[in-house]
Amino acid sequence: MSAIAPFHGFGLGLRRTHYADFLEGEVDVDFVEVISENYMVEGGKPLRVLEQVREKHPVILHGVSMSIGSAQGLDEDHLSQLRGLADRIDPLWVSDHLCWTRTSAHNSHDLLPLPLTREALDAVCANIDRAQDALGRPMLFENPSSYLTFPEDEMAEWEFLSEMAQRTGCYLLLDINNVYVSAHNHGFSARDYIAGLPLDRVRQIHLAGHEPGEIIIDTHDRAVSGGVWELYADTIAQLGPVATMIERDDKIPPLAELLAELELARSLGRGNAGAIAA
Amino acid sequence: MTGLAQRQAAFLGAILDDEAPLPTGWGDERAPGLAIYRNNYRTSLMEALRSTFERTERLVGEDAFRRAAAHHCIMHPPRSWTLDLVGKGFPETCTELFTHDPDVAELAALEWAMHEAFVARNTKPLTTAGFGEACAKFTEGDWEDLTLTLVPDLRVVGASHDLVRLWSSLAADRAKPDVVPCGEAQCAIVWREGERPVFALRPAWEGAALDAFQRGATFGAVCAALIETLGEEAAIAEAGAMLARWVGEGLVEKLAQGVVASPAVTPLSPFASDSSLSVR
Repeated sequence: MSAIAPFHGFGLGLRRTHYADFLEGEVDVDFVEVISENYMVEGGKPLRVLEQVREKHPVILHGVSMSIGSAQGLDEDHLSQLRGLADRIDPLWVSDHLCWTRTSAHNSHDLLPLPLTREALDAVCANIDRAQDALGRPMLFENPSSYLTFPEDEMAEWEFLSEMAQRTGCYLLLDINNVYVSAHNHGFSARDYIAGLPLDRVRQIHLAGHEPGEIIIDTHDRAVSGGVWELYADTIAQLGPVATMIERDDKIPPLAELLAELELARSLGRGNAGAIAA
Repeated sequence: MTGLAQRQAAFLGAILDDEAPLPTGWGDERAPGLAIYRNNYRTSLMEALRSTFERTERLVGEDAFRRAAAHHCIMHPPRSWTLDLVGKGFPETCTELFTHDPDVAELAALEWAMHEAFVARNTKPLTTAGFGEACAKFTEGDWEDLTLTLVPDLRVVGASHDLVRLWSSLAADRAKPDVVPCGEAQCAIVWREGERPVFALRPAWEGAALDAFQRGATFGAVCAALIETLGEEAAIAEAGAMLARWVGEGLVEKLAQGVVASPAVTPLSPFASDSSLSVR
């Protein structure tokens, strides 16, 4: 299976409200990321838009429904349709989340946390092997944000991710906001988390906003917070340049606002830590 | 069942049911986290339903819609990987809940058909010229045996209310719904023009004819059923006009012949009206 080469660019998630901006204008991004499932359809406007955007920008397929942690294995229909979309779009890479979304009976349509056990790790690794084999390419998996941990946990999340990457050859999508959120919610150090990851496997970074509170909620409905920017700056100082994007899924502002946030990421990427204060 | 499978079944069970106790081994400190997952689950399903059934929500009002959507999600928790299918069966839920207002389920069925048509497989419909060319040398037997492959985005929805007026009246928030029963049985046919789903109100027998072709009936069998429904003279006139109209509207993907056994076609619904309203 071919390796994923490092890609040093800055991008945005493609959202419906910005279709016209991307189709009719020149948007200063190095890539766009789309939610895979929104385009895993038979035909119509969504696929036409994606194909036209693909003519202008490299595309990343980012999934929310693979359910890589499901004890019952993967949904073959989902996998087959994802393969079809990947063949059609020729993405930079295909990613999903370290989570589970369903049992054999029902689907939660949410990114649910996994118990951090050897048994869960074995299940995840077997599912990743199956997914990468079916897609014919290595994948990236994103660290989740979570609101509870399990009494049976046997390891830290960064240890789980490290062994997962080592055993399967997959890469990591490091969501800095998710680290920040989970660190607050579960009382660990975000910097210890990042230091414990195999940074040479990280191929992409996500930045997003959250709702503060006793439990921080990963809402993607506002600008990236100062604490997350600081953690990003620290991370790329260790990691070097890596593909970075701003995620916004709710209360989506005009594109110019997101491009301004992305410019801050670019500035930090050039080593300008002072940009945060500015 | 493995330990992981048991844990996931218990966790999902606790998300689906607000009254469910915390899974075994969980202390109360996990209750606030679980509440967030429960809320995420309900919110995402509710938003998916609101987005698909926008006009149905305007028709019944936010509170009634929220109760219907919650009932639907409890009775039919999602199984598919795609949120697009969360609304599957919602028109039937509306039939069950709004028993005295059949217009609600009809509108929901129409919105569901539009939702499905939006992302149906792309196809190149037969043009009028292509149809003429294909039929130029048809014998009487060829017409008898003719079958149609209709475009994949085509849907037929039953209508006892004027769905064109109802649809238009609900175009904006706080609109006053215009609910007018049809004098005769009608149907709404839904298809996609380019990338845009559209619909038109037609006599019920025309919808029945489309349904028969979708099930593989021959033109001969459909004509025989039309004669029983409309009488011979009207049926002959309507059959040709109907076929020409479908081709003109881009509803026919291709023609075929030589079907060994056409499914039985019962008499089509009574002729209602020769008028066709469209919201295209």
